[in-house]
Amino acid sequence: MARIELRNVRKQWGPLVGVSDVSLTIGDEEFLVLLGPSGCGKTTTMRMIAGLEQPTGGTVAIDGELMNDVDARDRDVAMVFQGYALYPNMTIYENIRFPLRMRKVPKAQHDGLVRRAAAMVDLGDYLDRKPAALSGGQRQRAALARAIVREPQVFLMDEPLSNLDAKLRTAMRVQLKHLQRQLKITTVYVTHDQIEAMTLADRIVIMDGGRIQQIGTPDQIYADPANTFVAGFIGSPPMNLIDGTLEAGVFTAPGIRVEGVHGGNGAMREVTLGIRPEDCHIGGPTAHLTGTVYGVEPTGEQTFVSLRTGRDLIEIKAHRGFRAGLDSTAQASFDLDHLYVFDRANGQRLR
Amino acid sequence: MATTAATTAATTAATTAVEADGAASRAAPGAAPRLRPRRPVQRALFPYLLVAPAVLYLLLITLYPGVYAIYQSFFVVQFTQWFPTGFDNYTLLWDDPDFWAALWNTFVIGGIALTLQAVIALTLAFFAYRDPLIRGWRIIFLMPMLFMPSAVAFLWKLAFSDGRVISDLLMGLGLVSANIDFLGNVWNARLMLIVADVWQWTPFLFIIFVAALQAQDKEIEEAARLDGARWGQIFFNISLPLIRPVIAVAVVLRGIDITTMFAKVFIMTQGTPGGATETISFFIYRMGFRTFDFGYASTAAALMLVFTIVVAQVLLKQFFRSGRV
Ligand SMILES: Nc1ncnc2c1ncn2[C@@H]1O[C@H](COP(=O)(O)OP(=O)(O)OP(=O)(O)O)[C@@H](O)[C@H]1O
Ligand SMILES: [Mg+2]
Repeated sequence: MARIELRNVRKQWGPLVGVSDVSLTIGDEEFLVLLGPSGCGKTTTMRMIAGLEQPTGGTVAIDGELMNDVDARDRDVAMVFQGYALYPNMTIYENIRFPLRMRKVPKAQHDGLVRRAAAMVDLGDYLDRKPAALSGGQRQRAALARAIVREPQVFLMDEPLSNLDAKLRTAMRVQLKHLQRQLKITTVYVTHDQIEAMTLADRIVIMDGGRIQQIGTPDQIYADPANTFVAGFIGSPPMNLIDGTLEAGVFTAPGIRVEGVHGGNGAMREVTLGIRPEDCHIGGPTAHLTGTVYGVEPTGEQTFVSLRTGRDLIEIKAHRGFRAGLDSTAQASFDLDHLYVFDRANGQRLR
Repeated sequence: MATTAATTAATTAATTAVEADGAASRAAPGAAPRLRPRRPVQRALFPYLLVAPAVLYLLLITLYPGVYAIYQSFFVVQFTQWFPTGFDNYTLLWDDPDFWAALWNTFVIGGIALTLQAVIALTLAFFAYRDPLIRGWRIIFLMPMLFMPSAVAFLWKLAFSDGRVISDLLMGLGLVSANIDFLGNVWNARLMLIVADVWQWTPFLFIIFVAALQAQDKEIEEAARLDGARWGQIFFNISLPLIRPVIAVAVVLRGIDITTMFAKVFIMTQGTPGGATETISFFIYRMGFRTFDFGYASTAAALMLVFTIVVAQVLLKQFFRSGRV
């Protein structure tokens, strides 16, 4: 079992910065998800934990032991690569068995372990094929099976479900979570998919531009975003971010006026107000917002409405039966308990 | 401003710009290609027309001498006079112990040299390919290859027999007590040829193998590393099977070349001692230019041609089948 500590870890290629100043402690048996836009340094962070990339600065420790100079082979981590990295000359069976052979697992156990791992990712029928004869999703599952076939100190999974269809992805998600709970293996998991992050993670790390933006449980990340980046990144559709001014608890922007907003010291200041679509209500007791209907998108279980105010387009999650003509006037109210105020200059939350 | 709105606006602007761009290039004057209809016959012939010069050239320089040799092998040639003899040359050759000896010598010398250089090159490549500096060294490794074959032969002749460098060296090390007469012993004489060939051609294979190893997907090596494989295990389990076709092509090319080894034999041993280093090429040369039996020499050449083609074909097929991914 393993506790991973990253201290001020940095990775640079010449002037190119991949990861800057990442400090992070991953608890034993924890399921940690790295979430962030493409190119934010998720894979690089993971590769430094695996030992495939030497940090330019900072330290990586596992169970208190400094790992910077320990070879990748000796760190006892299993990784699912974003590009699968299956061995093209071997059958899927041999691919999955390879770690067992290399780690000197007794031969008698090989077959059972390989078949169990293959069954877990629903890959039983393809064991005799070479990777080239599989679809993208099948290859991905083979790569996943190769990682989970043995019990390492750490699992590192780089978007292991990105190429699966929705149904299989959901099923696999549940499987993975169950497997991790069962084996109690510290897991670092990279994904683009918020739902995956929210459902799997004990804690989520949101990254952007090579830096950590926020670390927290899924609930904290959702309910208590630290800055506008996190606020705008999580949620679907994302939080409305409205630029305006805040003075003595009153927020104003063209077409919008909200009283009783907390944050700041009462002096006039430029802020960004955040409100989630699900915390806005069409109609409602007080009209905080007046605008015209710009779009109505029924999805079946709910209806998304966009209202155009003077300058902004506000997304609102409305009752599933809600319908309105385009360009008709509508009013909406905000749930005052779920307003977020950010400093417009640096995007940080004002509390 | 709402971020959603901003994004939408930006996207719209970008789309508009692209559209404007497209419209501009489409409207450019004189841009439309002239449509030249071609009849089907023309279209079918055109590709052949394009490759015809190259094919003709190749036929003239490669096929013509081959066909000429095969034709000549059915004659007894005495200077300008040719007397048809049917298959007599072939039966004579079949019963000629010198021919079989030459075939065996070629096989032994070529086989050992080829095996040695392939193994040495592969071993060096395994140790070197992960080195980022190797690209800089490449040119140094290429040097022996860049020498003329006759220069290489003279170099080693000097080292082995004329200059006695090797003997002196071995005596200096206390390994032998007297000068070694490399030409006086069958295996010593063959060793000279083998050493010279290995020295000259190992770099060629090394460069090819290093390139093949460097071209393999790095992530696969990393995955194997994390799976617990040592570098040696990665090499034998993954790299070697993957670069097998490359090895096959390189070795077959080298093999074809080595069966026609001539310059080294001519310069270093002249086939001595007692014909133990006479290769097929040297045998053909001896028949043609020492005994002036051109028909007979052509017969041996024709047989070798067929033999080489068949062996190369079989080897390549074999390697490619088992190396298939
Ligand atoms: N070998 C390298 N040399 C130079 N720059 C690199 C290298 N590897 C990654 N980078 C850069 O580092 C940054 C982070 O890359 P990384 O692969 O970690 O992104 P990521 O978060 O995994 O993205 P994605 O979600 O698209 O996989 C990127 O800007 C990338 O261009
Ligand atoms: Mg990545």
